[in-house]
Amino acid sequence: MRAQLPRRVLLSLVLRLLFLKPVVTGSCSGDDQELLRQLQHQVDFMKDSSRLLDPYMHIQGLDVPGLKEHCQERPGVFPRENALHELSRRGFLQTLNAKLGHVLHRLTILQQNLPKVQDFGTVKRYIYGIRNNIYCLAQLLPGSSETAEPTQAGTEDSPPPPPASDTFQSKLQGCQFLRGYHRFMHSVGRVFHKWRESPSRSRSRRHSPHRALRKGAHRMQPSMRGKRLMPRGQLSQ
Amino acid sequence: MALLAVVHAAFLLALLSFRTYQSEVLSEPLPLTPESLEVSINSTQQCLYLQWRVHNLTNHQELKMVFQIEISRIETSNVIWVENYSTPVTWNQVLHWSWESKLPLECVTHFVRIRSRVDDASIPELRSWSNWSSWEEVDAQKSLGQDPLVVFPINKLVEEGSNVTICYVSRSPESNISCAMEGVPIHGERLSPNVFAFILNNVRFIRETGTNIYCVSPSNMSGTILFVSKVLEEPKDFSCETQDLKSLNCTWDPGHDTTLQYQPSQRYTLFESFSGKTKLCEHKKWCHWQVAPDSQETYNLTLIAENQLRRRSVSIFFNLTHRVHPMKPFNVFLKNISATNATMTWKVHPVGNYSTLLCQVALHGEGKVIQQHNVSVKVKGQYFLSELEPVTEYVTRVRCAASNHFWKWSEWTGQTFTTLEAAPSVAPDVWRNVKTVLGSHIVTLFWRPLSKSHAHGKILFYNVVIENLDNPSSVKLLSIPAPANGTELTLDQCSYQIHVTANNSVGTSPASIIVISRDPGNKNVEEGRIQGTEDGFSLSWKPQSGDVIGYVVDWSPQDPRCQLQWKNLGPNTTSTVIRSDAFRPGIRYNFRIYEISTERIAYLLERKTGYSQELAPSENPQVAVSNLTSHSFTLSWKDYSTDSQPGFIQGYHVYLKPKVEQCHPGFEKVALSDDSVCCQYKIDNPEQKTFVVENLQPESFYEFLVTPYTSVGEGPHDTFTKVTIPDEYSHVLMRIILPMSFCLVLLMVLCYLTSQWMKDKCYPDIPDPYKSSVLSLIKYKENHHPTIMNVNDCVPDAIEVVNKLEGSRIQFLGARKSLTEMEFTKPAYLYLLPTENYSGPGPCICFENFTYNQAASDSGSCGHVPVPLKTPPSQLALLTSPENLLKSLEQNYVNSSGESPAGENSLNYVSQLASPMSGDKESLPTNPPGPALCSEYRTQMAVSLGHASPSPSENSSLSLVTLLDQGEHRR
Repeated sequence: MRAQLPRRVLLSLVLRLLFLKPVVTGSCSGDDQELLRQLQHQVDFMKDSSRLLDPYMHIQGLDVPGLKEHCQERPGVFPRENALHELSRRGFLQTLNAKLGHVLHRLTILQQNLPKVQDFGTVKRYIYGIRNNIYCLAQLLPGSSETAEPTQAGTEDSPPPPPASDTFQSKLQGCQFLRGYHRFMHSVGRVFHKWRESPSRSRSRRHSPHRALRKGAHRMQPSMRGKRLMPRGQLSQ
Repeated sequence: MALLAVVHAAFLLALLSFRTYQSEVLSEPLPLTPESLEVSINSTQQCLYLQWRVHNLTNHQELKMVFQIEISRIETSNVIWVENYSTPVTWNQVLHWSWESKLPLECVTHFVRIRSRVDDASIPELRSWSNWSSWEEVDAQKSLGQDPLVVFPINKLVEEGSNVTICYVSRSPESNISCAMEGVPIHGERLSPNVFAFILNNVRFIRETGTNIYCVSPSNMSGTILFVSKVLEEPKDFSCETQDLKSLNCTWDPGHDTTLQYQPSQRYTLFESFSGKTKLCEHKKWCHWQVAPDSQETYNLTLIAENQLRRRSVSIFFNLTHRVHPMKPFNVFLKNISATNATMTWKVHPVGNYSTLLCQVALHGEGKVIQQHNVSVKVKGQYFLSELEPVTEYVTRVRCAASNHFWKWSEWTGQTFTTLEAAPSVAPDVWRNVKTVLGSHIVTLFWRPLSKSHAHGKILFYNVVIENLDNPSSVKLLSIPAPANGTELTLDQCSYQIHVTANNSVGTSPASIIVISRDPGNKNVEEGRIQGTEDGFSLSWKPQSGDVIGYVVDWSPQDPRCQLQWKNLGPNTTSTVIRSDAFRPGIRYNFRIYEISTERIAYLLERKTGYSQELAPSENPQVAVSNLTSHSFTLSWKDYSTDSQPGFIQGYHVYLKPKVEQCHPGFEKVALSDDSVCCQYKIDNPEQKTFVVENLQPESFYEFLVTPYTSVGEGPHDTFTKVTIPDEYSHVLMRIILPMSFCLVLLMVLCYLTSQWMKDKCYPDIPDPYKSSVLSLIKYKENHHPTIMNVNDCVPDAIEVVNKLEGSRIQFLGARKSLTEMEFTKPAYLYLLPTENYSGPGPCICFENFTYNQAASDSGSCGHVPVPLKTPPSQLALLTSPENLLKSLEQNYVNSSGESPAGENSLNYVSQLASPMSGDKESLPTNPPGPALCSEYRTQMAVSLGHASPSPSENSSLSLVTLLDQGEHRR
């Protein structure tokens, strides 16, 4: 009962996600503000711990006093928010894309260990949508003709590792990972929010979205100019 | 010397003992001591594995040996386990033994040692225990790293209900470490300064992801998962069967699912002992077994269920041909469907060479099985269904089973069909109601629709054949379309036989016959009352003639809109109970009992009326009060109908609320539902609808209520009617007041008449000028032409003052008299003012009238008023201008003129009262009257409208200047 409502909400949002232009048509929207708005919406949705962490803790029995206090994010797994703000736009998108790849990998493992939890599959499809929007947004950056390719569901996964010998530690690590993921998405949402509220936004509306992004990218990381955006599979953190 | 002797003796003893020992060694075999002892740990199973060898065995020698194994915990002296392990031993054999520890092996250090002896009676010299091996230390913590706090065992799998021991190992001796299972603290015992053990008894299954057990120190936290599995059950209802003798389908009930996360699921295996074949089943509830082509008939199948903790099995033994469960038949068809018959065909799947199947045909109608038949079938089946009802939907189904060795029926296969129509099978149930109106019989026929089982199709119409029994050649046919359930006929005084048939598309039903005789039989039978019950109305009657074919009881509610109902009864019946769901409480039903003669003529036997349940009246009658006197009044409710009430009215209760506590004679004091006290008078006769309330107190106030009552109760005590009793003298007063009033009116009439007389006497009316004598004088003087003064004829340049003589009011124009001569009189003056259009002399008449000039004459204003020449021009012009004068007339007297009928012979009196110059009347003698200002005089003149001016509204020239007093204007 507890997981029904988020599942229903997830389903509706996934349906909306399926109607996003990049996924359905295979082509990207040239409207960077629309992409940012969608990404903001997706990231805001994913930062909610009721999507993943809470169901995970419930099914693993970690939502009891004495245990849930130890379900804290382990430092170093996901970048901190200030580090994200310091990245250039291209660098930020690369980092986000890479981290989401890791998240997909980890969710695949969790999904195999907990096949009855349907939320993992739903969130994975949602992350595919986010990565497609990242790809499209990256296309608007200068020199982006060979950047990351859009993500297709099912092509991301690598074989899951065998279960940890210490299942208890594995449970806790999964919990800590998911908490870090939600925090990370919260930080990502703040970065996107800053992008949308940045002065370049108004200028871009008056002039060109390409120009606005280009300008922001040049300001934050001039060294990226002219460099090729690596394909999605080679994106590094 | 003594010392030497002691040394010698000792040497001899030592030598002796050495020789004894040497003789033993050389004569007995060497001891078989376990060697090369190795101890290992299986953490998953928490087992210690021991392996060793026994040396000193000769080739091909096999000895039965016993090994004693000791296990110590923490320290060697703390032996916790001693076990003797017997096994045959051969040369160079590696021996194994395992021991499962209740306490996780990682918790503390374990020590193991072993010794042996030969357990063979043929070698008694080796049956003593060998020496112990050295202690082997087993320390699992050494390989676990340096975690500050660890909980053991890791990922323990146990069955539900087990007892489990866990421990934590802390690298530093901390005292405040707490442990909990699923958030509930657990308590244990200390094994060593750094180790604490906990015993969990009867653990229960909580979730597939395991039970969380964890320990927390201020700086660390560690935990483990206890996977508690449900106990694997033995499969239930294990059964195998075949549909085609080619494969077996085995099913079972697995019971609880013991699947856990990270743990292998329970698995099922089929093993056939005759063939030795095994099959791992893919499903948990069923499995297919391929039958060998060599037509193995007998099978001994074992189903094995196992998981990591337990193994269960169940076996069945059977002959393949005894487990045939055929597939369901197919190609089911119905053919040759008629109104009552149909033929059903179907096919069956062949069961190998196994030939005959037993098939069961079931016919369902209206949801229940009507017919059931068994048919032997090889490939094609057929069955003839008979005794069917026309126009009825049936479902026919068929299933089959092995005929020789019945095992199970196949699933049903069915088909739906509907039989054809047939002619209605029975005559409609007809009844009639006969009324005689103006010598004719109004016959209303009723019939009930045929039931579906009798109609055999949709009834299209009803035929009514009317046969005149007195004139057999006269037959009349009426066809009444369905779904009518009756008709009305008007018949004469002859006898008639009426045939009613129902018709569908196939044919006609038998006829229902009734006879209407000349005498309708509605003789005056007194109506009796009947009391209904919950079961209905119980009626009984006495047969009047022995030759009857039956009886009919009909009934209807009092409401004429409701349809007549009837019940047919046999000839030997003299009583019945009429039941109907339509019976309602408080409704009167009228029953009639008829006997039907052999000529099918109905004779009325009895009439009954009654209620299924009487109710109290719901309304009270409208009561009128009459004959109100000072001591009585009369109540009447003659419009109240006793027949249309919810019960038989037995009488009335008259309630009276008196002003005194005592009730009148005949009344009883009763308490009403509102606790008020009232006087009640009971009227037992329901037809008595008047009541006189007597012995009342004059000039008092009463309230009354009339309510009917039935056997159940009386009507509502809703509203009492108030009556005020007059006093006893009021009628006397009426006898006095009326004559006095008449006299007073008469007196007023007399007074009025007297006042008229007094008025005529004291204040006579103005004389009519036409009746004046002056007219006769004028007529006489001027050629006898009676005329009235023409204004145009007046000469405005002179004024004549005519002295009025007492007794004669006639003044002549042109007669001049001095003013002094007029002292004894009170003359009135008329000024005739000059006009521009004056064309000639004419007679002017001046009148005096005391009636109108009384005030003026009294004040002497009827004198000559001098007109000063200083008169404002405007006013002068106003007065002298004919137009202005005309306007003045129009403004001030248009009503007077309008109200005056214009005519040649009419006279108008115009007068002038007030004058702004009246104060100058004393100057009259010195200033003769001027021609300009007449307004200072009260004048009265008669003007002939025919000559002067028809109407002031006309714009004619006027030479007469007058100002009229409105208040004195009369006609």
